[in-house]
Amino acid sequence: MTEWTIRQMRHVPEDELHAYLDQALSRSQCAEIETHMADCGRCRDLRDGTAALRDRTTALLGQLSPRALIVAPPYEMLIQRKGLIPIPPDWRRRVRRAGLWAAGFVAAVGAGWVGRSLLEPRQFAPAPLALQTPEQSGPAAPISDGLAPNAATDFQPAATPIPISERAPRYLAPRSNRLADAVVPPPSLQIVSVGLSSRGSAVSEPAPLIRSEDRSPFSRIWRRVEWEDALQIAGSAMPFIEGMPVIGVLLQPGAPDERPTVIVAQQDASGEVIQSIEGPQDKVNELLARQNTPDVNRSALTRTPPDYVEVGGGVRRTLRMLTVTGRLSVDSLNALLRVVTIR
Amino acid sequence: MEDLERLYKTHYPAVVRFLFRKIWDADRAEDLAQEVFIRAMAHQPEKPRAWIFAVAANLARDEARSAIRRRKHLVLLKDDPVPLSTPDMSAEETVEKDERWAKVTNALAALSERDRDVLLLWDGGLSYPEIAAQTGLAVGAVGTTLARARKRLIEAHDRMDYQADAARS
Repeated sequence: MTEWTIRQMRHVPEDELHAYLDQALSRSQCAEIETHMADCGRCRDLRDGTAALRDRTTALLGQLSPRALIVAPPYEMLIQRKGLIPIPPDWRRRVRRAGLWAAGFVAAVGAGWVGRSLLEPRQFAPAPLALQTPEQSGPAAPISDGLAPNAATDFQPAATPIPISERAPRYLAPRSNRLADAVVPPPSLQIVSVGLSSRGSAVSEPAPLIRSEDRSPFSRIWRRVEWEDALQIAGSAMPFIEGMPVIGVLLQPGAPDERPTVIVAQQDASGEVIQSIEGPQDKVNELLARQNTPDVNRSALTRTPPDYVEVGGGVRRTLRMLTVTGRLSVDSLNALLRVVTIR
Repeated sequence: MEDLERLYKTHYPAVVRFLFRKIWDADRAEDLAQEVFIRAMAHQPEKPRAWIFAVAANLARDEARSAIRRRKHLVLLKDDPVPLSTPDMSAEETVEKDERWAKVTNALAALSERDRDVLLLWDGGLSYPEIAAQTGLAVGAVGTTLARARKRLIEAHDRMDYQADAARS
């Protein structure tokens, strides 16, 4: 049997007959089917039945027409309506727009993360300070408690307590905040101002804030801690300004029996970061000496209760200091220093 | 633009019918059909006929969803046919037409969603490749699906005819 005969003998499948009647087949396929049906009564019957089914379907669906006669409104009216109906973008534009949104979001998050990582050390470390030079600060005066001035930091303590400016400080503390609610306000520290002078030349050496001078590489490392944890670790050495939200606490553990050095960063109503630094005198001086941003000022240094450490059967007294730094005027910082409390 | 205008004049009734058979609201079907063509004016699709039916199907789907949200019965509901009676019809004719309407809508509702979509798209005038592109079927499968859909529609309709006759007798 030849191939031609086989093709002639193959009956036309029903779906092909539907496609044939719907004129969905190619010309060659149609010719093949017609050639076959010319000799095949069975396929002709099937074609007739399929055509009847198709016509009936069309008739049934025709009954589901909203109106007997559907008339299109004038095309001009459609054009007029076009201006009234907001046209939504097609899916490609939507996808493109969504992609752009997603990319923008990712970029913003990334930029925020990078920015935060760049800003964080400045935010939580002591703000760079401009330190005065001896020439600018005038003659040195003895400190009230007899402490020698730290020559390395060029502090020139004033002979008398710092007079607070008559004008109102820039900072106006709110009545309460989250921190103040959470923490029982401790008694205010009696501030003995030991010196403050105007801004002078900047110390140019930028140095890392975190430096361990201990033999153990980790025991004296600066750590960023939560407020509650800091309270537990630092105990009574936690300086903060009531009424300002705390945005971070940096803490460096001290030697055995010594309180740690603490930097509490808070934010005032204008968004400025205020840092309260409390720790051993040499440590605070060292931190201040490493600041090099000219627009950051510091308040007067004030004494806090010293540490007493037993060393070789005797007792060593370590003086501790407190200061407030920030991009505020010295008068404002001094005003803030007066309201710093130490828990 | 001229092509679109021509398409509008030739296919507007088909699009209205297509939409009507999906949302069963004549006025809304006309509104949506006009919106489809207005969108086509704005987007200038390369294959306007297939694009128009694709957008019409999407609009009908959105309409059905919003109708469900609004708890309005605009979607295909077996027990709630929406015949459009003509004012000059007698009561008997109206009842008869309502019955016919109900049988066809119920028969259509008895189809699977894919069979119904293919059948309505074919009735709207789309070619096999256009139906395939819109439904995701292979072109060769459109004929098979269409054959099955037609057969099932007629079978369902005949079954309802038989049940109605049995109920009468």
